[in-house]
Amino acid sequence: MKLLTHNMLTSHVKGVTKGYPLLIKATEVKVNEVEFNPQFVSRMIPKLEWSALVQAAEELGHRQDLPGELVADYETNEEFLKKVHRILLEVEVLEGCLQCPESGREFPISRGIPNMLLNEDEA
Amino acid sequence: MYSECRGTLGRSKEEKKVIRKQIKASHTLLKHEGISTTPHPTESVVVANGGLGNGVSREELLSVLTEAEEVESLFMPPHKPYAFVTYRSVESARRALTQLNGQKLQSEENSITLYLSYVNSVTFEEEKSVPLPEGLVLVEEFVSPDEEAVLLAAIDWLSSNEDVTAQKSLKHRRVKHYGFEFRYDNNNVDKDKPLRAGLPDECLPVLERCVKSGLISIMPDQLTVNQYESGQGIPPHVDTHSAFEETIISLSLGAKTVMEFRHPDGRLVPVVLPGRSLLVMRGESRYLWTHGITPRKFDMVPACSPHSPASDLGTNRNLTLSKRGTRTSFTFRKIRHEPCCCAFPSTCDSQGAASAFSPSPSSPPSLPCCHADATRLEEEYVHRVYNAIASHFSSTRHSPWPSVCHFLSLLPAGSVLADVGCGNGKYLGVNPELITVGCDRSNALVQICVERGFQAFVSDALSVPLRTASCDACISIAVIHHFSTPERRLAAVRELTRILRPKGQALIYVWAFEQEYNKQRSKYLKEQIKDEHLEDKWTNSKLSVHTNRTAFNTQDLLVPCHDTTKTSNTILKAKPENGQVPVFHRYYHVFQQGELEQLCGQVAGVRVCRSYHDQGNWCVILEKD
Repeated sequence: MKLLTHNMLTSHVKGVTKGYPLLIKATEVKVNEVEFNPQFVSRMIPKLEWSALVQAAEELGHRQDLPGELVADYETNEEFLKKVHRILLEVEVLEGCLQCPESGREFPISRGIPNMLLNEDEA
Repeated sequence: MYSECRGTLGRSKEEKKVIRKQIKASHTLLKHEGISTTPHPTESVVVANGGLGNGVSREELLSVLTEAEEVESLFMPPHKPYAFVTYRSVESARRALTQLNGQKLQSEENSITLYLSYVNSVTFEEEKSVPLPEGLVLVEEFVSPDEEAVLLAAIDWLSSNEDVTAQKSLKHRRVKHYGFEFRYDNNNVDKDKPLRAGLPDECLPVLERCVKSGLISIMPDQLTVNQYESGQGIPPHVDTHSAFEETIISLSLGAKTVMEFRHPDGRLVPVVLPGRSLLVMRGESRYLWTHGITPRKFDMVPACSPHSPASDLGTNRNLTLSKRGTRTSFTFRKIRHEPCCCAFPSTCDSQGAASAFSPSPSSPPSLPCCHADATRLEEEYVHRVYNAIASHFSSTRHSPWPSVCHFLSLLPAGSVLADVGCGNGKYLGVNPELITVGCDRSNALVQICVERGFQAFVSDALSVPLRTASCDACISIAVIHHFSTPERRLAAVRELTRILRPKGQALIYVWAFEQEYNKQRSKYLKEQIKDEHLEDKWTNSKLSVHTNRTAFNTQDLLVPCHDTTKTSNTILKAKPENGQVPVFHRYYHVFQQGELEQLCGQVAGVRVCRSYHDQGNWCVILEKD
C-alpha cells in the first residue's frame, strides 16, 4: 500500500464520524524506485489531504524534510516534487495494519494489500 | 428410423479413403477409453459411434447390425459412445465389418456414421443387482388406463396461480397443490392455511385401494401434482420431515421416468417408475435418501421384456434408451402436526438439521428475501467462486472493453479514479494519466492487481472505505449484477455516487437479459461451445442454472463455469464425479432494458446522462449534481 492510496482510505465502521486518516502501524516497509514524472506528481497534490500525508510519513519514519504545509508554486519546484514523489509513490507498506482513529478497529495489510472488509455487525 | 444400406461395398476409392481415416481416428479415441483395436480379424468388434452415450438405442443399433450378420451378443456400456458386438465366427465378423463400416444410422434427428474395428476380447464385469433403498416399495399397474385418464382429466391446470405461458417459457415443471400449499421458499407447508380445494374426489378410489392394501393407514390430506415435460426434472431432496408424516405415496401417470435415490454416503440407486405405478416411501427412503429426477430427454432403462422387474437397473446388461414423455405425478402426503422424531437426525429439521435439502452443492438456492440470506447466497455463489477461480478468471479477461477505455480516456489527466469491483485490474492501467485505485471483494483477484503493479485493496462494494466526494470518477464494470436483491443493487449505486465529487461521473456496466439488441447478437451468444460436462440443468421456481452461450430465460440465475486450473483451491464442496472437473456456479441478476436506469433514478443527487447497450451489457453514465 502506497501512501497515495492511504491518503484516500478512511474508516467506514458503523457510527464512526472521525475515521480519517487511518493510523498506520507498519511492520514491513519497502522503498521502490519509480520513474519520476513531475507533471503527474504536480497534478496529484491538489487531490491530497496534505496533513494526513505528513502524519502518515511520520508514522513510517520516512518524513525526512517534508514540510508541514504545502509550499507555494510547488508546480515548478522540482526538488519539492521529488520529495512528494518519493513519499507518495516509492514508499510502500507491505505488512502491518491500518487503525481507525475513533474505534480502534484494525484493518490488516498483508503483502501490500489492505483488507478493509467489515464484519456483519460493523457495517 | 431407417438405415441406409451402404457399407464399403460399392464405394468409390475416395469414400473408402475417408472411411479409413475416420476409423483410424476412432482408434485414437478408443485407446483413451482403454480399448485396443487390432487389425487382425476376431469375433469381437467395437462399433464406434454406436453407443448409449451418443444417443443410439439398443433397438436402433440391432436393427442395423442384423441387416448384415447375425449377432451373438451385443453389449452397450452405459454413457459410452460405442458398443461391442460378438459374432458367431471370425468369418461372420469379417463380412459384417466389410458391409457395415461407414454405414449411416438415423437416430432421431441425427445421422450417425458407424465405424467398426476388431478387438481382442470383450470383458465386462457382471454387476450385482443393486437393492432398493430401505423402505421403498414400487407397485406396478396400480391403476388401470381408464383410471389414469380420469385422474389426469381431474387436474385443472388453467385455474392455477401461475401464468401458463410464463411457466412454459421458463421451462419449469408445472405444479399444483391441493389440501395445503407446499411453499418452495422454506420447503414447508402452511399448516394453518388449508387451501380451498381439498383433494379431488377422483383420487378417493386410489387412496382407498392404498389403505386396503395396507400401504398406508391414515388418509393423506395433501396432494402435490407435478407435471414434467421431457427435459424437466426436480433437484435431489428429502421431503421436509416436520411437514409430513412418514409415509409418502406417489402415483406416476403418463410416461415412465427414472428417479434417482442418493444416500449421504454417495450410493446412487436409479429406479424406473413406469406409468401407472405407485411408489411408496417409508423409513430410510423417505427420511434419509434424497430423491430427484435429472432433467433429461432420454433415460437409460433395461431393454427387457415386459415381465422383468422394472427396478432392475443394477446390471449393465442389455440397457437401452427410453425417450422421455410427459409424466404427471400425484404425491399424497399427510400433514404432520407434531415435531418429527425419526431415527435420522442428520436430515431432520425438527431435530436440528439446517435444511431438509441434501447438503451437496447440487441443491440450488432460492432468491433471498432478507439481507442475511443475500449475504450467504453471495458468499457461496460469488465470493467463494471468484477466490477459487481467480487465476483462470484473470487469464480469460485481458481485453478491456473499448467503450470503457473511451470513458477513461476522456477523463482529465490527474483525475482520481476508483474502480469498484476491479477484478484483475484490467482497467487500472488503461489511462496512465489517472490516479487510480481499485477495490474488489476477492482477495485473490486483488493480489493479481498488486502483482501487476497497481494499487488495490479488499473491500465490499456496499461499503467502500473511501471518503465522500473524494473521486473525480468511478467505474463499476460487471459488478452490480452479482447483488441478489434490489435493495443491495441500489445500495451499490448509492456508494458509487457517494464517493464522487460534485460533477464527477460514474460508469456502470451490468449483464443484460437481452443478449440480442438491434438484431446484433452479443459475443456471448455468438461463440457456441459444446459443453459435454453440463449435466446439471435443474429448474425450480426460484433460481435456475443457465446454459452457457444461450439466451437468458430468467433474470436471476446461476451461471456455471468449469475450473480448469491445475491447482484449484476447491473451496467449494463440489467434488468431481466420474473425473469431471468441478463446476462452479456464479449468481447473476441480469438486467432488463431500462432497469439499470430506473435503479439509478432512485438515487438522489445524481442523474443519468447516457445509457446504452454494449456487447450484451446495459450501461449508464451517471453524473453527480
